[in-house]
Amino acid sequence: MPAVLNGSSIKAKSEEAGVAVSVKAVNMVYDGVHAVRSASFDLEAGKFLTILGPSGSGKTTLLRLIAGFQRPTSGEIFINGAAVSAVPPHRRSIGMVFQKLALFPHMTAAENVAFPLKMRRNDARDIPARVERYLDMVRLGGYGARRVHELSGGQQQRVAIARALVFEPDLLLLDEPLAALDRKLREEMQLEFRRIQRELGVTTINVTHDQREALVVSDEIIVMDGGEIQQKARPAETYRSPSNAFVANFIGVTNFLDAQGGERRAIRAEKIRIVATRAGLAGTDTIVEGVVVDAIFEGERVVYEVRVASLGDALLRVFDHDPSAHSQLEAGSAVYLGWAASDVLEFKP
Amino acid sequence: MRAAKSAYPLTWRIMDALEAFAAFVWPARFGRAIPWLMLAPALLLVGLLVLGLWQIGDASLRTLDTSTFLMSETYTLANYRRAFTESLFAVVAWRSLAGSLMVTAVTLILAFPYAYVMVRTSSPVIRKLLLIALFLPFFIGQVVRAYGWLIILGNQGMVNEALSLVGIAPIRLLYNYWAVLFGLVQYMLPFAVLMLAPALTAIPEELEAAAGSLGADWVRTFRHVVLPLARPGLVGAGLVVLTLSLTDFAMPAILGGGSQDFIANAIYDQFFRTSDQGLGSTLALLLVATGSLLVGLVFTLFGAGTLAMGRARQ
Ligand SMILES: Nc1ncnc2c1ncn2[C@@H]1O[C@H](COP(=O)(O)OP(=O)(O)OP(=O)(O)O)[C@@H](O)[C@H]1O
Ligand SMILES: [Mg+2]
Repeated sequence: MPAVLNGSSIKAKSEEAGVAVSVKAVNMVYDGVHAVRSASFDLEAGKFLTILGPSGSGKTTLLRLIAGFQRPTSGEIFINGAAVSAVPPHRRSIGMVFQKLALFPHMTAAENVAFPLKMRRNDARDIPARVERYLDMVRLGGYGARRVHELSGGQQQRVAIARALVFEPDLLLLDEPLAALDRKLREEMQLEFRRIQRELGVTTINVTHDQREALVVSDEIIVMDGGEIQQKARPAETYRSPSNAFVANFIGVTNFLDAQGGERRAIRAEKIRIVATRAGLAGTDTIVEGVVVDAIFEGERVVYEVRVASLGDALLRVFDHDPSAHSQLEAGSAVYLGWAASDVLEFKP
Repeated sequence: MRAAKSAYPLTWRIMDALEAFAAFVWPARFGRAIPWLMLAPALLLVGLLVLGLWQIGDASLRTLDTSTFLMSETYTLANYRRAFTESLFAVVAWRSLAGSLMVTAVTLILAFPYAYVMVRTSSPVIRKLLLIALFLPFFIGQVVRAYGWLIILGNQGMVNEALSLVGIAPIRLLYNYWAVLFGLVQYMLPFAVLMLAPALTAIPEELEAAAGSLGADWVRTFRHVVLPLARPGLVGAGLVVLTLSLTDFAMPAILGGGSQDFIANAIYDQFFRTSDQGLGSTLALLLVATGSLLVGLVFTLFGAGTLAMGRARQ
């Protein structure tokens, strides 16, 4: 028995050492607005965490509390084990990329990247080489002499990233820095973030309301709503077993079925099979009849909206991921929907 | 036919008629003249100024015959010689120049934190109070304000009354250089704050937060971020304060009590006391030249500030 106890306590200790950020029962109240409600979570060193939530859910506030621009109304934040509430931002080792980038317009790209090194009184002789190295890393080698307004949106983004990383901070905070970019560039930069983060192994907290981004880049996802943390889990787990109806609804396309005995049940759009004849639904547990209200062709899939009389005229959304295999079902046609019982999500009220 | 007519409502037809009339009165090809037309008042004003300046230039080249009180027929540089050699004018010129530079420096130093707090405070109450405190003096003219200082700072004024209560003998606070500079700073402060506030508003607060997270304490944030970005505002405010105080009349006249004349007072004396329009004109021209030179100097050294809208963004 003593041996087992000993082993578990060693394990707990080593886990403790690997925690880079620890938020404990943090509340933030702006005059009247409860922006963050008793938020608690730990983040392991080197991990990429995404805070996901709708507008106004308290994501930025939580990030600003960690960065030290604001003090929590109650609770405490630990960075590398030390309480930081009394530590001003410039004494925390945190690189932050702001939503609007906040590059200094009166400086060149290289001067922007050199700024944190100068402020942290690095050896002046090392600064140019280091700046060059980080500009190279974000693929902006040779752009150092450009003024900020002479760079494209994506290039400015990269300068902001280089500036936040060049002093090798303990923690990197990203406040929706990709929100303003067009979709293609955004997806490119998401992968870029991931590459750089893996390369440097810096612990990162990313804020977004783009569920795709959260799923693609993160080691872990925190879903927030109304200032409260709804779930903290790995991307696949967040998607496959959402902890409550809000998370299920926020991530992915989810159909809520009738409540049964106080429990809410839901089924994802891609878990429903849709066919014209009942024979095609072998192997499903639940089969209902419906009428196609709308069929939207999206290229790699067709999205159907189907009205189901037996579910109280509910409108179910169904994805058909192989539209070329058979002819598309027309609006107005009678169809059968089927799904496996194991795919039904259940939530306690 | 009927249906077509009713599909074209009466109001539209009235508009068509109005447009046709407008096109008759003002054909489209006149359109090119509009920018010039809008410039016309400004051109007229500048033209008048140039005309006046021309006359002043003409008068500055004639001397006053003290026996007949008539201006000389022939041109001479005598007035300029007097202006540059008589020590009185050198003293006045130096006094105004040094004074206006000091006033500018002190005003900017005082106005900057005021404007900064006004722009950045999160409390609407404080912002309103600061704005009211700023605008209230605007409704009180310069002369009335100077007179107010006479009441406060005079030998029997409130300050000396208070000092006598604690047993300190009255101090002569008025009719000296510092009183004039004090009055000028107090007069210029709202102008400077009003010119600085928009420049500071234009600096995103996020930049300061960013500087903080990058390792700059507030002193270095101020030096490396706020100050350089506020430069257009500082240059603009500095120019306004400099030119206004260099050419000021009321503060030296009232708070200086005749012993602390600035250039404008010397010009006034020439025109209205000795009636020497020639020398007065010379001094006026020299003042214009000095002012222009200073403005030009500031432009070349610091850029054109808020006045050069395009360049201010750098
Ligand atoms: N400085 C402030 N003063 C008062 N209330 C604030 C302040 N900042 C944020 N709030 C409020 O706190 C709540 C959370 O705001 P926050 O900016 O954290 O949301 P968010 O999740 O970042 O939203 P978004 O996705 O739109 O950026 C909102 O209701 C907001 O109105
Ligand atoms: Mg936000």
